Amino acid sequence: MNRTFVKLAITVMAGGLLYSIPAATQVSPTTKRAAHVRITKGPEMERIDPDFAIIRWTSNNPGGSPEHYGVVHYGTNPKDLSQTAKSPIRLNPGHPDTVFRVRMEDLKPGTTYYYKVNSMEANGKDDGVKSMVKRFTTEPSGKDDVANSTAKPVTNR
Amino acid sequence: MQRTTLAILSVVCLMVLGVVMTTKGQEPEDDQAPKIYNPYPPGILPPDINSELQRVLREVDFIEAKTIAQWKASKPPTLTGQPPTLQGTGYQAVETLGKLMNYDKNMSPERNSACASCHMPYAGFSGPIPSVNLTMIAYPGTLRFRAGKRTAQRYTYSPRYPVLQLYPDQGLLFGGNFWDGRSTGYLLQSADAEQAQHPPVDTQEMGFPDTACIAFRLSQAVYRPLFEEVWGKGSFDIKFPPNTAEICATPGGAAVFGTSATPVKLSPVDRTRANSIYNHWAQSVSFFEDGPQVSPFTSKVDANIQGLPGSAYSPNELAGAILFAGKANCNSCHLDGQRTTLTPGQTQTGTFATNARPLFTCFGFSNLGLPLNPRDAFFYQTKPDPFGFTPNPLGFSYRDLGLGTFLRSGFGSAPNPNDTWKQLAPRMDGRQQVSTVRNVAMAPPQCPTTEAPGAVVNGTNVGYFQKEFFHNGYIKSLKQLVHFYNTRDVKKFAFPVTSGHCPKGTTEKVDCWPMPEVKNNIDMTIGNLGLTDQEEDQIVIIMQDLTDGFDPAHPGVSTYPDIGTFTGKCMQGGSAKTQGNDFLIMTPPLPPCASAVCGVSPFPTMPIP
Repeated sequence: MNRTFVKLAITVMAGGLLYSIPAATQVSPTTKRAAHVRITKGPEMERIDPDFAIIRWTSNNPGGSPEHYGVVHYGTNPKDLSQTAKSPIRLNPGHPDTVFRVRMEDLKPGTTYYYKVNSMEANGKDDGVKSMVKRFTTEPSGKDDVANSTAKPVTNR
Repeated sequence: MQRTTLAILSVVCLMVLGVVMTTKGQEPEDDQAPKIYNPYPPGILPPDINSELQRVLREVDFIEAKTIAQWKASKPPTLTGQPPTLQGTGYQAVETLGKLMNYDKNMSPERNSACASCHMPYAGFSGPIPSVNLTMIAYPGTLRFRAGKRTAQRYTYSPRYPVLQLYPDQGLLFGGNFWDGRSTGYLLQSADAEQAQHPPVDTQEMGFPDTACIAFRLSQAVYRPLFEEVWGKGSFDIKFPPNTAEICATPGGAAVFGTSATPVKLSPVDRTRANSIYNHWAQSVSFFEDGPQVSPFTSKVDANIQGLPGSAYSPNELAGAILFAGKANCNSCHLDGQRTTLTPGQTQTGTFATNARPLFTCFGFSNLGLPLNPRDAFFYQTKPDPFGFTPNPLGFSYRDLGLGTFLRSGFGSAPNPNDTWKQLAPRMDGRQQVSTVRNVAMAPPQCPTTEAPGAVVNGTNVGYFQKEFFHNGYIKSLKQLVHFYNTRDVKKFAFPVTSGHCPKGTTEKVDCWPMPEVKNNIDMTIGNLGLTDQEEDQIVIIMQDLTDGFDPAHPGVSTYPDIGTFTGKCMQGGSAKTQGNDFLIMTPPLPPCASAVCGVSPFPTMPIP
């Protein structure tokens, strides 16, 4: 057990010598780009509502600007993914991979959507990842519809 | 010898004053306090607002008097060399000057609002009134009760934010001061110094109608000799018109001034001199904020980084530090210094930097998707005050687009001095400055925690100090803050309602998060972190360790300067999870976003309801 810990500590320290993040820099440090940027997990549906969804996937580190955008191209016809949703995320230079999550607003209830994903730097430079076309169906309307709730303000402590 | 005696006498007098202040702070409400502008429905202004404002003013006066005594007892610097330098005690002189200005209530028309009125040391130089933090969010300015629109940001480490700049290769803006970055630092090359130039002429804050009023009031200040010592003997050679005192006693925005930003009529030469004084005001205040009295790097984390005896982390602190950089991903924005880059399969096991002073911010801007807070006093200031000024004619059709509105030079912000950035506005809508985590948890020694039910000292619960978090004060405890990051997007917690309308059977901020005020550009790094309740608590613990004033030899006694000034009352009871929920109110039906905010080109990427 101790030997494993020492091994891990040596690995971490050695890694630190090879690459470290300058502290207190004026901007976020850039992240080292993986040799071959690819999606390692997903994309998959994190959340599906009647008019809203979150799609998430993981890629190895795409490098470049500290902020990236996850991008979803989607539509109700698998051959016409002309709608786009994108959400910003921050890379963590200390993490081996990056989780992208994208919010999709104003969807139609009970509707099947087709989508594929990629990602890009905040300056618009494409990360070069691609996914297969996948699909999901939004929940029918009415479920979880509490927009007109007349509930009293919460007062319990 | 005489000087020393005077200094000793001053300190004795101050101690007596302190005792009087402590006693007075416990007196009942003063019902005779004037009510000048109160457009608020019942419940927005806290019932103790007058006595609390007076309490803070006494604390401000106390520190000002103490600083004057210190200045008078100090050794003056010697101006010498080429270029001329204040040799010896120059640092001390500029810092003291900045401090004297910061605590000077005369820097407002009514002589009732200093910079420090909204930024006291025991709150990490953020809002000092627990009941305001709980209710109206923004602080009353010189004209009671005009108020701003956002929470008072902490001074600590604000001078470390660089000048706002676009990094084209990264496609991002970094730096600036204020939640919306409107203090860029483009002219003085210091975002923080320029920040110090806004509140004195902000209509809802210190409220002067003209920047020349600062020069005028400084010319009358007790510490004018110190200003002249630092910035030059001829600094105040300005011929002020006879009506200057009257103008400077009238709050900005008054109808009598029309649209003039310079109602004090000065010759061009004198205007330049007044501007120069205003710049020196800003630089002096900023130097004070950057110095060891405000930003000393003396937290437990700093001690741990330096390996000082007595600063080792407990298991929970260590777990918090690891979560901060690992599962919770806090350090993607709140940079924590040097760490290793992991390879797939590795997990973070180390703590923070070993040889650096990380600032725990990236100087960037994020939209965290906070709900609109209907308690914000700004929404209710829709009627003219006695001077004919209406702070927010838009009422509830105002939306806080943060940096996006600033880039458009929009309503409630400031002119953008770089037109080429305007095109970025749609990508910046809803984004607010990423604050440093440092001192987010700072609280007075009497109640040294921000978290209900309070701190236990020697077996007794001494209560907590109510703070407010994020730009609109929606979050009332650090536990809630971490829980928000952790669960904002979790399906069973996220509801398409506004604050105060969570469905029956749910509890707002526990298992119900109302919808975001601005859906555009929401940062998706956070929102579904998968942290357990215990892990949330551990992150709170490491955030608390970023409080300055940690003394490894006496961990329970803060060394932070002036932290013992608080003379108010601690709060008791409740739970950090639901802290402040007693004061939730129902958001009224929201009118569409005003065209003065959302209808300004370049338009938001998607409509803002």
